[in-house]
Amino acid sequence: MIGPALALARVKLVLELRRREVVFAMLLFVAATIVIVHFALRADAGAGERAAAGMLWAAIVFTAVLGLLRSFAAEAEAGALDALLLAPVDRASIWLGTALAQFGFLVAVEVVAVPVWWLLFFQEGGPDPVPLIAALVLADVGIALVGTLAAALALGARTRDVLLPVLVLPLVIPIVLAGVTATYAAFGEEGGGFGPIGPLGFLALYDLVFLALAWGTSEHLLGD
Amino acid sequence: MRALGRPSTTVPLILSLILVPLTVVLAFWWTGDDVDQGFSQKIFYLHVPVALASYAAFGYGAVCAALYLWRRDPEWDLRSYVGVHSGTIFGTLVLLTGPIWAKASWGVWWNWGDRQINVFLILFLYYCAYFMLRFSLDEGERRRSASAVYALLGVGLIPLSFLAVRIAETLIHPTVFTSSGAAMPDSFLVTFLVGLAGMLSLMALLMSVELRGKRAAARLVEYQRAARGEDA
Repeated sequence: MIGPALALARVKLVLELRRREVVFAMLLFVAATIVIVHFALRADAGAGERAAAGMLWAAIVFTAVLGLLRSFAAEAEAGALDALLLAPVDRASIWLGTALAQFGFLVAVEVVAVPVWWLLFFQEGGPDPVPLIAALVLADVGIALVGTLAAALALGARTRDVLLPVLVLPLVIPIVLAGVTATYAAFGEEGGGFGPIGPLGFLALYDLVFLALAWGTSEHLLGD
Repeated sequence: MRALGRPSTTVPLILSLILVPLTVVLAFWWTGDDVDQGFSQKIFYLHVPVALASYAAFGYGAVCAALYLWRRDPEWDLRSYVGVHSGTIFGTLVLLTGPIWAKASWGVWWNWGDRQINVFLILFLYYCAYFMLRFSLDEGERRRSASAVYALLGVGLIPLSFLAVRIAETLIHPTVFTSSGAAMPDSFLVTFLVGLAGMLSLMALLMSVELRGKRAAARLVEYQRAARGEDA
């Protein structure tokens, strides 16, 4: 189960290294989104740390959706999906492998985007990096799990490209809420409202809940 | 497919015809004005039962979705769809009556700090997308499975959204049902319960009517196929 998933993730990452069609687009997209949200908020006029945190999380979520649109693209284009479904592997491995690749893409994008965001908004000071990175990693896991699930559901839909964002965005609202709260906390801001588990604990809980739900329903994914 | 039996429309029809008008009568002529909110509190007897009925319908849709994935009987898929559909219709009513009450009682149309309305909004957006997913897939096994999985995921989203939407510093959403019982006079409680029963009957009525229609449509497709000499 884990073996085939890792193999599939590796194929996707190698393909991406050769073709460079997803991560590069995601990078340009995340930069453009940050700039647009920045000007939309007129953040130059002193909108402060909260605006910076919001910009980062909004940009990450939209960029992740852009990446998800291509998540099963290689399989769908060459008819490889049918072969993959015929292969003696669990449906869960196909989903998990794709989610792992998505997670890899997101991390790759953030490795570039977050330092740039930091440089643009915090010449001095800035948030505590450790909780911020923890929140980003946990959120990436959740976005990859849920997003790949939605992408698998939307596979074969006539309106796949417009459908996927509509499916994914309501599902990731809790991630954005927890991520932004964790970022506020990284700025040293008090409060949150996530009770004893805190926003990071919440993100971990979210990942576990949707991992379990997706695992339980994965044999019904991806069609027949 | 017919093994599950015909859902009754007579009983919910009679109940709704009695209970829904009765709620209006009780709300306007029996209960007094709320000490704090005055006349505007009357909308409580509509808004809250509609919201609870909407949650009940979403829950029903999710349960039927799970049963579909388990049993693979298309009837459960139809029931799941009908549940989500009715829940969304009632959800629209909740999102219309809520701001009216909010404006009268809090002075704003929408309060982003309130937990219940924001969770409801997330859930509503989520279940609206269900229809886009369902109707952009071709009729058949694939559509039924994908719809069922999506309807089931909502079960994870509801508690997580409740946890995530931050309790605002100002807890202004009226919390009438606390662990120590209902914080309102008996006449308010009775009217509310009548309203809730009325809304649930109305929901059951709408769902069984829609289910009948969907079944008839499915049968019609079967007959048309048979008439053309195709295998079903």
